[in-house]
Amino acid sequence: MTTGTHVARSVTSQGHYAGSVSRFLAYAIDITVSSAVFALALAAISYVAKVVTGHDVSWNKGNAVVAAVFVAWEFLYFGYSWAASGKTFGMAVLGIRVVMADGTTIEPRRGALRALVFPLSFLLCGLGFLGILVQRERRALHDLIAGTAVIYAWDARAARLRFLARAAEPTVSRPVRGPGQQRPEGGDVKRDHQD
Amino acid sequence: MTDPFETLAEHVAERVLDLIVHALDVNALLRKVDVNALLDRVDVTALLDRADVNALLDRVDVDALLSRVDVNDLMRRVDMDTLVEQTDLGAVIARSSGGAASEALDAARSQAVGLDQFIDRWMQRALRRKHPAPSAPPALRIGRVG
Repeated sequence: MTTGTHVARSVTSQGHYAGSVSRFLAYAIDITVSSAVFALALAAISYVAKVVTGHDVSWNKGNAVVAAVFVAWEFLYFGYSWAASGKTFGMAVLGIRVVMADGTTIEPRRGALRALVFPLSFLLCGLGFLGILVQRERRALHDLIAGTAVIYAWDARAARLRFLARAAEPTVSRPVRGPGQQRPEGGDVKRDHQD
Repeated sequence: MTDPFETLAEHVAERVLDLIVHALDVNALLRKVDVNALLDRVDVTALLDRADVNALLDRVDVDALLSRVDVNDLMRRVDMDTLVEQTDLGAVIARSSGGAASEALDAARSQAVGLDQFIDRWMQRALRRKHPAPSAPPALRIGRVG
């Protein structure tokens, strides 16, 4: 199936409940980005500490403080993103958004609550995520607790237009002709440029 | 002082005219009129020259007119495929919004939606649902097309 067909189908999916693949990819991007930012921050702190104290500072993965700060950072990353705009960086890339269960804009406190209960879906051996596949509204456990849902929110109509434009670009420069009119000399603009 | 005979004559004339008008079959008369021949004799250009189009347009309440037009419905009726194919619109859009990044993003998103729908179809079959699940939250279902 071509990308064009997918884009055409996506136009009618706007506002629909987002599926498992889009949500998983968004989460994978988020966890990569947030972990990378955290690692960079640790490296920066280590560098500054070394410059100031003259001693090497290394971070042990098993360090409880580092683990606690990492958990706090993840909560801040997801919680703030959902509370402020209903989407994280990964969700923005995949074009999905968290809304209230009825489809209205998410309330900030619901965004924060969603981030708080998000780990529950992991703690139950990942069963909390099963809701995305089997629940009628594709809501995971943390969605059900926080009263939220995830929808497609990207402008697929504009994407469809861009796709059509790209597909038509080599020939669109010919002028509109009536039924009886002949093709003008020289063909399309691209050929004119080559000549 | 008016002549009594003159007054009488005026009354008689008015009465006669009334009788004639009542007796006339106006519809039959209009059927006999060759409207096309009549219009051929009208110099439309000269007529338009005499009309003050600007004054006419000044009297039109464009806002009220536009408020009565359902632009969204109008846009839904536009066949974008044909429009882009038949005009330079495609080239303009491609040049103004095109980019490798946006192309990749469009492709990734649409592929993900395609996979979502594929998995969803199989899950619906596996779960043997008799009634289709709602596709969107209530607030986003109202007034949707497609």
